[in-house]
Amino acid sequence: MTTLTPSPAASAASTSGGAVATARIGIGGPVGSGKTALVERLVPALAALGKTASVITNDLVTAEDAERIRRSGVIDPARVLAVEAGACPHTVIREDPTLNIEAADELEALFPGTDVILIESGGDNLASTFSDDLVDYWLFVIDVAGGGDIPRKRGPGVIRSDLLIVNKTDLAPYVGVDLELMLAEASEVRGGRAVLATDCRSNSGVDAVARMLVDEVLF
Amino acid sequence: METFHAIVGHHSDEAVHDRLHELEHAGRVVTLVVPTKELGRRRFKATGSDGLEYGIALPRDQELRDGSVLLFEADRAVVVEAEEGETLLLRPTGLEGAIQLGWHAGHLHWRVRMEGDTMTVLLDAPREEYEVRIASWLESGAIEVVG
Repeated sequence: MTTLTPSPAASAASTSGGAVATARIGIGGPVGSGKTALVERLVPALAALGKTASVITNDLVTAEDAERIRRSGVIDPARVLAVEAGACPHTVIREDPTLNIEAADELEALFPGTDVILIESGGDNLASTFSDDLVDYWLFVIDVAGGGDIPRKRGPGVIRSDLLIVNKTDLAPYVGVDLELMLAEASEVRGGRAVLATDCRSNSGVDAVARMLVDEVLF
Repeated sequence: METFHAIVGHHSDEAVHDRLHELEHAGRVVTLVVPTKELGRRRFKATGSDGLEYGIALPRDQELRDGSVLLFEADRAVVVEAEEGETLLLRPTGLEGAIQLGWHAGHLHWRVRMEGDTMTVLLDAPREEYEVRIASWLESGAIEVVG
């Protein structure tokens, strides 16, 4: 049984409790939707808001995405770890996220005081979701070139994610997608929950994503 | 925004129960209503019964439950109240229905709990979207909706 003694009357401090744990944010989405590109843009965008980040990437049987981020120049390469899922990507972010939890624990021990660990899932389908045991908040990235009908197809990733990102907005005219309609349908199927549009290649819309993460999770 | 970084007890703890009761009568307890499906989260914001927004950022070895105490001071306390969301109650009427219901709940990653012979599904979407996935067994009577 917990033994409690009332603490002194409220002080001016705005927090209570012990050390602040590093936040963990998941980034999921289909293959080629732009998850890695978003990570490459988010790290400096978060830094501009005073938030430090480490990164975990998930690939099937390689460390391809981790190597790409290490070479990007936006982050200390030692802050990037790779998890090789070896199976369906959703397995290691939902059913048994042990590998990713261990990687996040390792990064947290190596770099104490870091504000956030970004955990990029391997490319999956619209059904992938993250376990609450692994992340505090998760984004799902879809892209315009994947088809304007993706939101209408719903799927747990589209519906349940805390924030839905519609990426590659610059391609809409070239692939016959009505972007405004796609965004409106995305908002509708999510019951009005957050949807943001990005073009990671030109770094458009990423600052808004970073601000939302700071507001919702990195307070 | 005031942020809580630890669960400091539970409203049923002997050490706090009586004093918490007194604080409640004095209107000095703030309740944070958290949907049951969100209790597994460790970092989020919630609006208290006083209308103010609070932050919760817990260690990974702590998990909220109904009655978790986040602040316990001499003249003020903050307590979590779990709010049951919408549910769908399903009951198989025989072996076929039981097998089908178990397989679908697992395959579709439904959040469920079992109470006797009834499965309670915690809904993340309109109930129709769940029922349509097992429509043929509902029609055949192998599975029935009981709530």
